[in-house]
Amino acid sequence: MIPRLLYVPAGIGLALLVLPLAGLLLTVDWAGLPALLLSPQALQPLGLSLATASVSTVLCLLLGVPLAVVIARSRPRVAGLMRALVTVPLVLPPLVGGIALLALLGRGGLLGNTLELVGLRIPFTTAAVVIAQTFVALPFLVIAVEGALRTAGTRYERVAATLGAGRGTVFARITLPLVGPGLLAGTVLSFARSLGEFGATALFAGNQAGVTRTMPLAIYTAFNGSGVTTDQAVALALLLIAVAVIILVLVGTRRASVLS
Amino acid sequence: MSPAVLEANLQLKRGSFALDVQLTLEPGEVLALLGPNGSGKSTVLDLLAGLAAPDTGTVALEGAMLTAPGRLVAPENRAIGLLGQEPLLFPHLSARANVIFALRVGEAGLNAADGRVQADRWLARVGLADFGDSKPGALSGGQQQRVALARALAAGPRVLLLDEPMAALDAETAPFIRQLIREQLAATGTSAIIVTHDIVDAVVLAHRVAVLHEGRVIDEGTTSAVLAAPRNPFVAALAGVNLVVGAARNGAIVAPDGRMFRVRPADATALAPNAASDSAVSPTMPAAAVFRPASVVVQTEPPRHASPRNVWSARVTGIEPGSGGVRLRTSGDPEIIAELTPAAVADLGLQLGSTVWLSVKATEVSAYRR
Repeated sequence: MIPRLLYVPAGIGLALLVLPLAGLLLTVDWAGLPALLLSPQALQPLGLSLATASVSTVLCLLLGVPLAVVIARSRPRVAGLMRALVTVPLVLPPLVGGIALLALLGRGGLLGNTLELVGLRIPFTTAAVVIAQTFVALPFLVIAVEGALRTAGTRYERVAATLGAGRGTVFARITLPLVGPGLLAGTVLSFARSLGEFGATALFAGNQAGVTRTMPLAIYTAFNGSGVTTDQAVALALLLIAVAVIILVLVGTRRASVLS
Repeated sequence: MSPAVLEANLQLKRGSFALDVQLTLEPGEVLALLGPNGSGKSTVLDLLAGLAAPDTGTVALEGAMLTAPGRLVAPENRAIGLLGQEPLLFPHLSARANVIFALRVGEAGLNAADGRVQADRWLARVGLADFGDSKPGALSGGQQQRVALARALAAGPRVLLLDEPMAALDAETAPFIRQLIREQLAATGTSAIIVTHDIVDAVVLAHRVAVLHEGRVIDEGTTSAVLAAPRNPFVAALAGVNLVVGAARNGAIVAPDGRMFRVRPADATALAPNAASDSAVSPTMPAAAVFRPASVVVQTEPPRHASPRNVWSARVTGIEPGSGGVRLRTSGDPEIIAELTPAAVADLGLQLGSTVWLSVKATEVSAYRR
């Protein structure tokens, strides 16, 4: 029931998304792949990426869900303002985010000076990686959860209250389960965004092997040929794609089982 | 007089709409709040439930102030339940888990194990013993509303507020749910306020009626008293039916003056004691017959073919203009109103004091248990 002409741009769009990945697969040196993937140059960034992305996803949930609830239940004007503020990091180039984080937490920065006095130095540490990832991933979670909360409305919460349920009980037993699908989508999006984060991390956390060199930075380093071949970069990219696909499949089956 | 369960005195102004309402509710009493759309009925319920605050006024439950100047007890601490048009069952919980939720957070405060046992009892009371594991999405609208009723009562409210609970149901389901609400309110002794614009809800469920119009209670009293002498066009339109409140006997309603009104077969079956869902029904069960004035046939001679009809003679006590022609008031307890064309009134030569024969087909008379 759709105009046939639409199939042409649709096909081109799909090709644009799929063909580069196919091209990547063609350049893979399959024989040398196992050795490359099992090398410390691959496993160390992978471990660091998974660890930091997990921590920042947990941070996103702890900070983002309450933020989404506050926005969703605020008066329209306040909610609109807060929603705009949350969206800014989303539309900002991550590099700019990295500069902004340095300006706040770096040497001579707004908070950086104070932290320096108590002996805390954030930039160029693993903590900086987590902060950079949370900075870029948080908006995804907030927007997904806030949308779900607004769709769910307050009707169920009001009924729960008239049954005698306190606010904490209503939040845990009614509100959160109702936005379950949105929460899951937001969590996956923020984990994926954290895993792929490059720009803000590079500026704010640097590229120190074992400390701040996550998968994207390792791929960049390998591709720039600082002592490694392009094969290494391709292998690492493949690994990152595999991780992403596994997550999507896991979430897909989880969703299917929730729906059935 | 026993002390009131609920006493409310509420004032609220929103734009051009002003609400000023005083209500009292006796223990175990069901009050119908009748009114057209926009009369402020749902607002009153929100104010009573603590979901909104009045500009001025008070709400007292069993003597304790819930709403007062500078004081608004939260809905969860009021023990005032709410059953609305939509069941609003929590979609992620089974029917049983919905009721367990109410038993745990409500007045009962049960643990999970006791809650489970009690929840199954509640589901059995609303005839859904086999549906405990069903998710709300798998239940029909009527079944969902039955679970919602069980859930609302399981929370153990001091007062249950009903906001047009039959409005979203189809015509076949509504009478069943109405009877169920009546039975369960009586069985639990729950005091209730039902908001409605359906006369049948008031007749079946309520002991007393308050008529709300443009934010004010303009009439209040027993259901039959308010409907017999309508003081406002809305009530008159509602009361544009003949209402015979009496006792059910042998598939008919017996009026206070002894007249028998046979009712349509479907309703007669529902009135039969063995068809009732509660077994302890006395043979003279309170019930009401309802039929339209236009269904009443007026003759000056005794009609000959009267097999499926109710026939009786009466005197004309009033002739007045009505919405669909001329309204003829006739003697009896209660008085019965017939509606006919001005030409028919002239043809029959009717005047005050005339003796007429009235008949109404049994199929035109619907009946309700009270």
